[in-house]
Amino acid sequence: MSNKKNEKVMKDLKKKLKNKIIDIAQPREKRIYISVEPEKTPEVVEYLFYKYRCKLCTATGIDMREGIEIIYHLAKEDKNMVINVKTLIPYSKLEIESIGKKIKAFRWIEREINEMLGVTFRGHPDMRRLILADSFPEGKYPLRKSFKNSDVTDEDYDYERSGI
Amino acid sequence: MDILKKSFKKSIWVFHLSTAACNNCDIEVLELLTPKYDVERFGIKLVGSPRHADALLVCGSVNAHAKPRFLEVYRQTPKPCLVVAFGSCGCSSGIFRDSYSIVGPVDKVLKEEDPDAKIVYIPGCPPKPEAMIEGIIKGLEAI
Repeated sequence: MSNKKNEKVMKDLKKKLKNKIIDIAQPREKRIYISVEPEKTPEVVEYLFYKYRCKLCTATGIDMREGIEIIYHLAKEDKNMVINVKTLIPYSKLEIESIGKKIKAFRWIEREINEMLGVTFRGHPDMRRLILADSFPEGKYPLRKSFKNSDVTDEDYDYERSGI
Repeated sequence: MDILKKSFKKSIWVFHLSTAACNNCDIEVLELLTPKYDVERFGIKLVGSPRHADALLVCGSVNAHAKPRFLEVYRQTPKPCLVVAFGSCGCSSGIFRDSYSIVGPVDKVLKEEDPDAKIVYIPGCPPKPEAMIEGIIKGLEAI
C-alpha cells in the first residue's frame, strides 16, 4: 500500500539531494534520516521546506560529547512521513547558519537551542533569551553533558537583570 | 497583641502565589472553595492582592525567575503574616531539587529575606484539602 509511495519519496530525495548530503537512510516505513554537513544544512532544510512542501515539527539539540547534534524534524503530511535532517556541529566551532532568517517558524526553537546548548546561529534576527531566567549567568549551558548542577549557585544569578 | 489574636481568629484572607509550581497544587487549592469543603464558611478567603492578605499560600519550589517576585510579594504583605509552604515542592523542592533553575524551597529563600518568618509546611503531592485546612489552623495557633 503506502510502502511503494514511501520508496518513491526516498528515491526522489536521493536523486535531488545527492551532492548535498552525507547519508540518507530509511530505518522505518514512515521515517527518513538525512545526515548533512553543518554548512549545507540550511540549503537542505530550505529545499525540503519550500520545494518539497514539508512542515516543521520541531528541532532538537543533543550533546553527543564530540559535538552538538541538531535534528530538524520535518513532516511530509500528504505521505504520512517524517523526515529528519541531522547535523553534527563540532565543539571547536559551535556555529551554524540560521534558518530562522528566512523561515519564521524556526526562530523560537533556534533561540532555545542557543541558550540551552550554546550554539550560535549566524544571522538570526532576534537572539534574546526564551525560557531561561533573565538572571541566569551568561556562558553556562544547562543541557550540555559537562554541566553540573553545582556550576550555578544562588550567587551566580544576577537578580538585577530580572526586572524587579 | 490581644487585638491581633482576635483579628486572626476569624476571617483569614489568603493570597495564593505560585512560584514555579506544576499547577497541580493550584488546582487543588480551588477544591477548598467547592461546596464539599467550602472554607469560606470559616472566613478563609482568597484575595487578589498581597496587601489585603493575612497568609501567603506559596505553591511550588522557587526558581530563579520567581525568587525576586516572591520576595517582593512577601515585602508587600502586612506583618505579622503566615507563609504556607504548600506541597512537597514548597517544603523541600521535591523532584525538582537538582534542577538548574531551582534556587531552593520556600523556607530557604524566605529565611534570607526575613529570618523570623512564620512558615507552615503542608506536604503532599498535592496535599489533601483536609490537610490544608489543618495546616492553616496549626499556623494560626503558632501566631
